[in-house]
Amino acid sequence: MDVIGNEEAKTAFVDWLNNKRGTKKAVLLYGPPGVGKTTLVNAAAGEFGLKVIEMNASDARSEKAINRVAGPATAFVALDTFSTESKGSILFMDEVDGIAGNEDRGGVSAILKIIENSRIPVIMAANDPDLDKLRPLKKVSALIRFHLVRIPLIISLLQKVCQREHIAAEFEALERIAENSSGDVRSAINDLQSLGETTKTLTLQDTVMLKARNRDISMDETLRGYFSAKSLLEASMLLSRSNVDYDDFLMAVGDNLPLRYPDPADLAKAYDFVSRADMYKGRIGTENWHLLRYFYNSLAEAAATSPESYKPFTLISPPIRVITLFWTKGKRTMLDGICAKIGHLCHVSHASAKMDFIPFIKVMMARNKADGVMSWFGLQPAEVEFLANMTRF
Amino acid sequence: MATNEESVMWVEKYRPKKLDEVVDLKDIVTSLKAFMRNPKTMPHLLLAGIPGTGKTTVALCIARELFGQNWKTFTLELNASDERGIDTVRERVKDFSRYSRAAFGNVPFALIILDESDQMTGPAQTALRRIMETSSRTSRFILICNQSGKIIEPIQSRCAIFRFSKLDRQAMIEQLCCIAKNEKVSLDNEAAERIVDYAEGDLRHAINALQTASAYREGVVDEKTVSQVIGEASPIQVQLMIRKALNGEFVEARKMMYDLIGSYGFSGSEIVRQMQRELFKMSTLSPEQKADLADVIGEYDYRLTQGANSDIQLSALLAQFAKVGKAKGETC
Repeated sequence: MDVIGNEEAKTAFVDWLNNKRGTKKAVLLYGPPGVGKTTLVNAAAGEFGLKVIEMNASDARSEKAINRVAGPATAFVALDTFSTESKGSILFMDEVDGIAGNEDRGGVSAILKIIENSRIPVIMAANDPDLDKLRPLKKVSALIRFHLVRIPLIISLLQKVCQREHIAAEFEALERIAENSSGDVRSAINDLQSLGETTKTLTLQDTVMLKARNRDISMDETLRGYFSAKSLLEASMLLSRSNVDYDDFLMAVGDNLPLRYPDPADLAKAYDFVSRADMYKGRIGTENWHLLRYFYNSLAEAAATSPESYKPFTLISPPIRVITLFWTKGKRTMLDGICAKIGHLCHVSHASAKMDFIPFIKVMMARNKADGVMSWFGLQPAEVEFLANMTRF
Repeated sequence: MATNEESVMWVEKYRPKKLDEVVDLKDIVTSLKAFMRNPKTMPHLLLAGIPGTGKTTVALCIARELFGQNWKTFTLELNASDERGIDTVRERVKDFSRYSRAAFGNVPFALIILDESDQMTGPAQTALRRIMETSSRTSRFILICNQSGKIIEPIQSRCAIFRFSKLDRQAMIEQLCCIAKNEKVSLDNEAAERIVDYAEGDLRHAINALQTASAYREGVVDEKTVSQVIGEASPIQVQLMIRKALNGEFVEARKMMYDLIGSYGFSGSEIVRQMQRELFKMSTLSPEQKADLADVIGEYDYRLTQGANSDIQLSALLAQFAKVGKAKGETC
């Protein structure tokens, strides 16, 4: 079976399916999300030729609803002792810990009834088996525990996926994706897919924005519509319909505008409108929200600067600012630490230390004349080395 | 704790310790010395003027003259541009006035020097005004700023204001020569003139340039050395960014902008200010072109203060440069 990890759980589940279920009529698979509970059920069904009758959390869990979907299946399915030769059915209820509140009143007792009357195996899956209300289910079920999948297994799975999808990926990138998933295979595959959609060569750098990407779908749509708008009106309509975050959107527009307007005159004009929009944003502050319409108006004008020049282009989606700040944080922290030492001894702000002292110290260093100065500032060897290697600004 | 009193940086080594040693500020020094004779009469002070004209030096001299050797115990030095917000300022002032309540001799207060106070926002200044009031029994403030206009009226009216103008050329040259003599550096006249031109009235800048130049060629500082040092210490990245933009390489220029922000932690307004300074040094532009571009920079400098996102304003400014560069049809 192509399900990775959780070997014990797999064996236990197959044993249970193969009539070794002892006195328990049902089985409860439990463990963190994305480790293969649902996948295992489907894979096993495929392998043993079973039909899966599925219910999940999105279905209403009232007694009525459960009886409607599962009742007929459990009551009328042939009386055959379910075996691997004759094709049978299994009832699979995913996310049974989702049973909660008024809407699902009676859900647990309905499931209990089903288990009691069922002639086909009943399989349940849950993330958190410790919930009090699941206790009655646990009493009548065999329990199979799933663990987080180990990172190396996820990496090798991702490698297989890449091979199949013709994605050339750096090992480090896959490693980052796998680590980022912290053992959740599903999320790792989702991340790989969303990254693989834009690039067929995946580097470590591409993985930085994983978190931000995952919620960016409506942002991308808005941006595409925005940049391809054929008129001021179309751009305004689109902006009024979209509910993307203003700041994120402004940042994305700032990054993508040069791709939209290759002509410098158009670009300058469009940026001027975006700059005006940003000024309105600044003036809105925390209270003048009535200015928002002017913000949108200016943004729409930027989109409609020269509609006829539109050519499709690939969006830059992780904001350049966020990526830059992420990769340079170490440098900034180091430089600020050095500036703090200089500022303290020379009675200047960190900013002034950077502007008025560092350039001169760099010149002295280039001539090997800065040792005294640097030891007076109390710079550590790492800081001295950092300054020596820093490109001058 | 052992401290190394002998400073290695000349700006500190030659920073005047007494008001009398301060160059070129006769009027200010005379009035301040009147306060020193009877410290009880000293009000809060506001020292305003461009960088490197002696404001911090005067403030530190006052601290020394009031408290003598123990000045550090009775003085709290804060820099508004380094503190994260008015709350940290409030906490530090509160803690400080609590522990330094014991008066020193005939000085019934402790001293709080708040540098770059015009970097504080309006609301923060209003809060500062409250702090000044509540701690007035135990503390005196010396506020230092570049532009007194950026300090709110209620604070200005509580302070005696001293304005520091651009230092006199001759006084700066004399100071440089005096330092050179002390350090056994031969500094010729053209070199001193060149340094003073470069420093634009900022003595700190001038002294740093002198010290660097003297390290450059074993104690001989001539004009050529100075030019070399100035060239090597000037902000090359900003120059490059301007050139790229003027060449129409907007995306490259914007990449450099992000490098300045990311790798060096420059703020939007710092970059704009550097652009303004570097623009006038560019030899490939005519005076008229420089004036036009400076006007553009000025507009976006203003927009930065109004806007919410400095990246957008900087990008828009670079786009304007790229447009001008294209219209000009030449490369720099």
